[in-house]
Formats: sequence, C-alpha cells, structure tokens
Amino acid sequence: MGSRASSLLREEDIEEIKKETGFSHSQITRLYSRFHSLDKGENGALSREDFQRIPELAINPLGDRIINAFFPEGEDQVNFRGFMRTLAHFRPVEDNEKNKDPTAEPLNSRNNKLLFAFRLYDLDRDDKISRDELLQVLRMMVGVNISDEQLGSIADRTIQEADTNGDMSISFSEFIKVLEKVDVEQKMSIRFLH
Amino acid sequence: MPKKSDNTRKLEDVGIEIDGDPDSADEVKNTKSKGGGKKPTGKRGKADDSEDGEDEDEDDKPQKARRANRRKAAQQQPEEEDSDDEIPQRRAAGNRRRGKPGANGGENGENKRNKRGGKKQKEGKGKGGGKKKSSSEDSKSEGGDEEEESMSEGERARLMEEVEEKKKLIANIRNKPWRMKRRLKHLKEAQLFVDKFEGALGKGKGRKLYAYKVMMMKKWIKFQRDFDNFKTACIPWERKIKEVESHFGSSVASYFIFLRWMYGMNLVLFSLTFGLVVIPEVLMGLPYGSIARKTVPREEQDSAMDYSVLTDFNGYCKYSVLFYGYYNNQRTIGFLKFRLPLSYLMVGIGTFGYSLMVVIRTMAKNADVGGGDGEDSEFTFAWKMFTSWDYLIGNAETADNKYASITTSFKESIVDEQENQKDENIHLRRFLRVLANFLITCTLGGSGYLIYFVVKRSQEFQNMDDLGWYEKNELEIIMSLLGLVGPMLFETIAELEEYHPRIALKWQLGRIFALFLGNLYTFLLALFDEVNAKLEEEQEIKNASIWFTKEYYANYTLNNPNDTGTPPPMDPADVIRGPCWETTVGIEFVKLTVSDIQVTYLTILIGDFLRAMIVRFLNYCWCWDLEAGWPSYGEFDISGNVLGLVFNQGMIWMGAFYAPGLVGINVLRLLTSMYYQCWAVMACNVPHERVFKASKSNNFYMGLLLLILFLSLLPVVYTIMSLPPSFDCGPFSGKERMFDVIIETIELDLPSFLGTLFTYAANPGLIIPAILLMVLAIYYLNSVSQAYQNANLELKKKMQMARDEEKNRRNNKDSTNQVMKDLEDLLPNRSNLPPAEEAKDKHEEKKAKVKPGAAGNGVNLQKDVSLASANPNARGPVTQAPGPRAPGPGAGRGRGQGPPPRR
Repeated sequence: MGSRASSLLREEDIEEIKKETGFSHSQITRLYSRFHSLDKGENGALSREDFQRIPELAINPLGDRIINAFFPEGEDQVNFRGFMRTLAHFRPVEDNEKNKDPTAEPLNSRNNKLLFAFRLYDLDRDDKISRDELLQVLRMMVGVNISDEQLGSIADRTIQEADTNGDMSISFSEFIKVLEKVDVEQKMSIRFLH
Repeated sequence: MPKKSDNTRKLEDVGIEIDGDPDSADEVKNTKSKGGGKKPTGKRGKADDSEDGEDEDEDDKPQKARRANRRKAAQQQPEEEDSDDEIPQRRAAGNRRRGKPGANGGENGENKRNKRGGKKQKEGKGKGGGKKKSSSEDSKSEGGDEEEESMSEGERARLMEEVEEKKKLIANIRNKPWRMKRRLKHLKEAQLFVDKFEGALGKGKGRKLYAYKVMMMKKWIKFQRDFDNFKTACIPWERKIKEVESHFGSSVASYFIFLRWMYGMNLVLFSLTFGLVVIPEVLMGLPYGSIARKTVPREEQDSAMDYSVLTDFNGYCKYSVLFYGYYNNQRTIGFLKFRLPLSYLMVGIGTFGYSLMVVIRTMAKNADVGGGDGEDSEFTFAWKMFTSWDYLIGNAETADNKYASITTSFKESIVDEQENQKDENIHLRRFLRVLANFLITCTLGGSGYLIYFVVKRSQEFQNMDDLGWYEKNELEIIMSLLGLVGPMLFETIAELEEYHPRIALKWQLGRIFALFLGNLYTFLLALFDEVNAKLEEEQEIKNASIWFTKEYYANYTLNNPNDTGTPPPMDPADVIRGPCWETTVGIEFVKLTVSDIQVTYLTILIGDFLRAMIVRFLNYCWCWDLEAGWPSYGEFDISGNVLGLVFNQGMIWMGAFYAPGLVGINVLRLLTSMYYQCWAVMACNVPHERVFKASKSNNFYMGLLLLILFLSLLPVVYTIMSLPPSFDCGPFSGKERMFDVIIETIELDLPSFLGTLFTYAANPGLIIPAILLMVLAIYYLNSVSQAYQNANLELKKKMQMARDEEKNRRNNKDSTNQVMKDLEDLLPNRSNLPPAEEAKDKHEEKKAKVKPGAAGNGVNLQKDVSLASANPNARGPVTQAPGPRAPGPGAGRGRGQGPPPRR
C-alpha cells in the first residue's frame, strides 16, 4: 500500500528519521503515505487547513493546540520530518530501548510526552501555564455552560493544587508532579501499525 | 467501550493506524505475516526496476548514492534470498547477516552500543530485581504485541545480546556474591527470558513452537478484546444512560441505573411466574368456560365486555389467567402431570426468595466496590483540567456529550468543593439541623396521627348510610394531599440544614419514605377489612351454594322422575359462587399499579412536557422572562422518582401472588418508562442547579428497596399461613390453608421416610437450635468483618505512608545508597547496620511526617528533591567505565531520572 509513497522517500531520509524517531522502516513508509494523503496541496508539506480536515481534530476543543504542536514556531508548513518528529512522541515506550542511549533522550520518553502535553496548555510558550492560559483552555473545554466566576475559581483551584513554589502558575516540573500517578506512558501512546 | 480499548484504538486521521478495529488490522497483519517473508526482496526488485522512472522528479546526486546503496544491498541479497520463505528462516538469515561484521555500518555501531548497554544492564543487575523485572516485562509485551518481522536488525541484535547475557548469568550465578533467595529469583527470571527469546531468535528448537505460540497469543488477545466489546455492547441502554449522565450528572443517571437494575430483576420474576404458572395453566389447564371459576357469571355477562368494566379489571379480565381465581385446584394438569398448585405456591415464595437474594447480593457487591477507590483527592481539578478530554473521539455527537460531561463533572466538583470549604459557624448549623429534624418529626407525627384519625373515621362512616361525597372519599383526599404537601414541606425544611445535596437527597428520601409508609398502612388496613368481610360473606355463600346444588339435583330428580342417570351438570355461569377475596386483592393491586402508571406518565406529560412547551414558546410574548423567572423548566425529581419506583415494586411484590399477571404489567411499565423518562429528561428538563455527584454505590436505594421488600413480605406470608383460601376459586380451593399443598405433596408423592424426615425437621426442638446457630453465625461473621474493616483501614494508612516514603526515597536517595543496601543484604547480622543508614531513615521519617501536616511545605521539599535528582550529575557514574559499584541508570522507572526538559 505504501509502495508508491515510499518510492518518493529517500532511503537516507528514512534512515535518518528512523534514527531520530525510532520508527521502523515500514512504519515510516506507511505514515508517509498517510502524510501524502493528508497533503491536499501536494507540495510535500502540510498546512493548518490540512490538519483541520481531520474530524478528530476538528471537534476537539484543544484541536487547534494540537495542530499548533505540529508546527515549529512562526511557520505554517510542516514537512514530513517535522510531522514524524511530532508523531514520535506517541510511540509506545519500550523498555529495552530506554537504556540504549542514555545521553540523548528519545522523543517518546515520559518527559517528552509530558512536555508535549504541557505545550498544549502553554499558549505563549513561556514554559509556564498561567491562570489566563488555563482560563482560555477551560473556555474551550466547557464552552458557556459555566459562569466566568466559576471558571475562574476552577483555574484558581487548579493552580493552587499544582503550584508549589507560589508563583501562581504551573511550571513544567509542577505539571510533572501533578500527573505523576497518571500512566502517561500508556495513555499517550498509540500503537502504530508496523 | 472507549475505556477498554485504550491502547488499541484507531486514530487514522493523524496518519496513524492502530488496530482499534481489530478485524481489519489483524487481517493486515495476517496477510503480512503470510507474505512477509517475500516482501522485502520483491520490493527491492521493484524499486530497482522503477528506478529510471523515478530519476525524473528527484535530484541526481542523492539518487545516485541511493542507487549505489541499493546495488550493494542487491548484491548481498542472493545469499539470503533462498531461505526467505519462512519467517523464522528469514530471521535466521538476519542473524547470519548480523553476524557478518561490517555488512552494515550503522548496524555495527548500534551493535556496539548495544554491547555497552548490555554490560551496563549487567551491572545494573546489582541494583535489584525491580528494574530487571520491568525489562523482562517489556520484552514480553514486545514479544506478544509486535510483529515478528518488525523486529529490526538492531533490535534483534540487542535481543541476542541480552539472551547471551542471561545465559552467562545462568552459568555463573554460583559465583555471584548474593543471597540464595536472590540468586534463585534471578536464575528463574533469566531462564524464563532465555526460553522465551531463544525461540524467537531462531536458535534452539523452539522456533516453530514459538511462532505458533505467538500466533495463538495474538488470536487469544483479539478474541478477548472482541469479547469485551461484545459484553459492553450487550449492556442495555448503556448509551442512553451515559447520555443522560453527561447532561444531568451522575445523580440523575443513578436513578436510571436503578431503573435498569429493577427491570432486570423483574424480568427474572416475570419469567418465573409466566414460565411456571401462567403458561402451563393456559396450555394444559381446563379452557375458559369449562368450570365456574373460569366463567363470567350470568348476571355479569351483559356488561362483561364494556370498556369501563374492563378498565376496572372486572368482567372478562377478572375471570382470566391474570388473577388468582382463575386457577384450578386439580392436583396435576396435562399429560406432563404438572403440579400447578404446588408450582403456584413455590413461585409465590420463590419470588420473594429470589428478590431478597438479589437485593442483598447487589448491596454486598456495591459495598465492595464502594470501599475500593477512595484515594487521591489531591489533584482533582488539575486532573480534570488536563486529562478529561478523550482525544480519540471522532464523532460530533459523542463530542457534544463529552463537552456536557466535562462541564457536568466540573460542576460536580465545584459543589463538592464548596461543601468542603464552608465550615464556618458550626454551632448555628448544628442548631438549625436539630431544629429541622424536630420540625420534620413533628410533621411526620402529625401526619401519622391524621392518617390514624381519618382511617378510624372512615371505619365509622362505613356503618352509616347518608354520606356526602366528601365523607366517602375523605381518606383518599387526605392521603393524596399529604403525598403532595409532605415532600414539598420537607424540601423547604431541609434547606435549613444546608447539607451537601447528596446527603440531603438521602434525608429527603428517608423522610418521604416514612410519610409514604403511612399511605401503605392505610391501604393495607382497608384491604384487610375488606378481606375479613369477604371471608365472613364467603362462609354464608358456601353453605348457600351447597344447599343450592342439593336443591338443583333434588329438583332435577323431581322434575324428571323417569331419568335415573346422573343429572346434567349445571351451566358454570349459573353456579352460585363465593366472593373470592384473593382475586379481589389482586384486582386492587393491579388497579393501583395501573393508576400509578397513568398518574406518573400524565405528570411527566403535563408537569414537564407541557410546562416546557409553554415556557419555551410563550416566552416570546410574555411580560417576564419565563425561562429564567418563575415557571422555568422542570428539574428531574430524583427522590420522587426513586420512591415511586420503590413503592411500585412493593405493590408488585405484594400483589404478584394474587395476580400473576401483575409482574407482566410491571415489566411493560418499566420498559416503557425507561424510554419515556429518558426522552422526557433529555427533552424537557434542565439539570439541577447544583449538579452533584452520586455516591458510587446506590446502596441507599437498595436499602429502601430491601425495607419495602420486607414490609411487603409480611402481609403475603400472613395470608398464606393463616387465612383460609376461598372454597371455590384458585389453586388452593378446598384446602384448609394454602401451604397444605406442600404437606400433601410430601405425603403423596415423596417416599414415606422423607415425610418423616420433614416432620422431624419441622419440630420446634430442631428449629430453635437452628435459629440460635444462625444468630451465632451472624454475630461471628459480623465481628470478623469488623475486624477486617479495621485491618483494612490500618493497611490503607500504612500504604499511604509507604507511598510517601517511597516518593521521598526515590527523589532523594543517591546512588551510593543502593550499594549500601547490597552490602547490607550480605551482612549476616542485621543489627550491625551502619549508623548512617539509621540516621537516614530517621531523616526520611521526619520528612514523611512533615508532609501530610503542612501540604505546601511538604510538596516544596519534594520538589527540591526531585530537581536534585534530575540533575545530570546524579547520573554521572552511569556512563563511566564499568565498575562493580556503579548502579544502573536512575533509581525509579524513569520518573525523576530524566534530564530537565531540553527544549
């Protein structure tokens, strides 16, 4: 199924992507064909509109944020490398590769998975989730059903729960601590077909 | 369903295919594994063929390089291709290839790295079982889940490496300076690992077996998944209830869950009654019109089909299989010799037995569930905030529901939170609560007295003749007024108490329940009066009918002196018959149930639907805002509905013995009301102002049900045991008592020694000790369960402490400590603990103590600690040259160990 698409991929690219993301060869070709079918502009890169056509993202309140996560700062195109790099966050963690290379952390480590999630909430990319950011996200999640006042108190509570150093915002380390008991490795993993 | 297949879902639109749809995915896999062996070569060949065509759209230089690459690959291939037919063989080929040094540069490098990793792992083994276990676990999951052919060269190499490693470990485990227990453990693990993967790697004879095993495992997993999905799909109305829950909160959903449970139970009762009583009678019993009890009497025949008569369950309805009176007292019916009277009694008792069992079992199960997960309210909001959206939702409707449910759950938490926070002025609140309870007790007492008074008056009225309309209906009027005013009054008073709505609901339920009990009491009292009157009347009629039959025969012989044979039997419609109090009672219950259904449905139609319509459409031309102002939309009345359901069930239990058809009516009622109420809630109601979370187990409802069950058990058992059945209707006619059927069966059908056995068993000398024994057993079990509860609490506390400590240690302990531990493990005498260790422990203990007290402080401390461990220096020794003292990377499973975020 991916034979045509894979023919557009160069072997070295695949090798490099493999090394960077840890996907297997067949996974890469398969994902490339998917990438290709998403790419309506046929220019080898995806735009935001391409992503917004995906129904799961279209109805997701945080869909925009997720789409944003695919794009490097300031750009509105993402090529296959970038696409794969983002997807690599969702590769399941396999323990035997965890200690393969201790110096470079793989993209799908727990920390990176969490960082990905953190970025979804960190709208202005200042490595802190502030009250305003929480409020915006909450707005997206619950719409107009809850009054502003209550949303505010939810945001306050959230920060109060998570904030340990008293700066009234959630830093990444605090975020990690909040989700300590959540099985992120499993929840933020997708089984890619091989 | 979404929860179940968490890790196996499909997210195809991000370009990812997972096997959420197990069939297609597995098919792909299967075909792949079938043709998998040949694929690579074919692909490569194809790529070679089409190379020229590709050249056009790509630049030249890399293309050339690639071509060169390919050629090289193609050259290498022939030697492998011949053995490429089977997967394992291919793998063997891969091994061979891997064995060749320099065949692939990158691979080689990887190999080296692996070697290093392997060594490290070996050193890491010194660190204890935890890590190794995890690694073996993971490799197991890899073996199970992943495709064999997907194992890349590197992975395979690493696996080989590991297998070798383990083998080595097995070989020289004797030389390790470990304790025996630990040695054994490691030995076992290593052997398991080797067994598992030697086969996978095509070495040893387990190859085929391994392939087979993997296949079966996959099939099994797939089957389990399918079965789970199937099971979830089989739960009726799950979708409807979830929808209601997402919009109205778990409290409203709990009513529907209760309703569903009730429906299930009634279905069983229904099948019992119909299967063992009604259908045998219809199929095998005498047909309609054959005997007096199955025929409409002559004087009623003209009006027997009238609508008004039928809706009162008189006429043909009364003489139908729906009621007790229709059943004949033949000992056996049909060619099967079905003992209908016995079956009738047994089903009557079995209904209660089954209901009791089910209710109690459900309660016990709920209590079990309730105790399970009471932990962690640390980060409620944060978790809701960060983890509530299900990212795999791809359906707009589901998304809407999810929105609603997130909103609802936030609201629920807000309510909980508000309740937790307000604890100011406890004295005032206490006073108010006492006052409220006092008021309510007064109300209840007052209404009790009122009922008593009215009942007494109505008994007096019965003997008088000239009564007005009010006097006739006084009892009903008072009762329905009480039922209307009481709950509202209670609700108003309950506002004084300021309970959490969940607790307030319970109080409200209990109070209305007490009020309704009065209702029940009057109803039963009236019924018993009627029964007693009927019994007296029956005595007279019995004599009259005997006399009448005699007369009939005498007349017959008088009128036809020539006929010496037996006279023709009387027309069954003309026979004088008794009042048959059982059928009367049955009709009473059926009428009550039906009118209850009508009232409930009409209330919903008018009180909710019409109101919603008016509010919605008159709002355009009204002087104030109807939606926000006075009438507004209705809220779903949980307490009223639950109590309605419970009392209705009480009626069914009481009436089912006298009207077997009642259970069928009830099943229909529950079925329709499920759909009807679901629709009504979704269409015309608004969520409660304070949506609150229902308690996990709706044991409170069950408790009410149990109480009602017990209460309804009493009158039925009383009538069975001590009232004489009617002489001319029902399965027990002609007997002194209903339970005589059992005695009769024992005497006639069972061997005689069993009969004597039963007489012994019925001896009070045996029963009293048995009861005593049971009481003792209950006492014993009760105290045991209390002890367990205490132990449970204790353990919970300990677990919490251990967890805190663990957290501290994980974040805190530096690497040397592990070595210390190993040393300590080797020490013969534990009392020689190094003092440092002790001091450390103390230190930790202090920390653990600090934490729960002052949360902020404790957490701060922890954070420092975790940062400290994230410091790359802590991991420093890991990458250095292997030495016996260096531990493996990181203490935990990668939580605190990673470097600080890079980006």
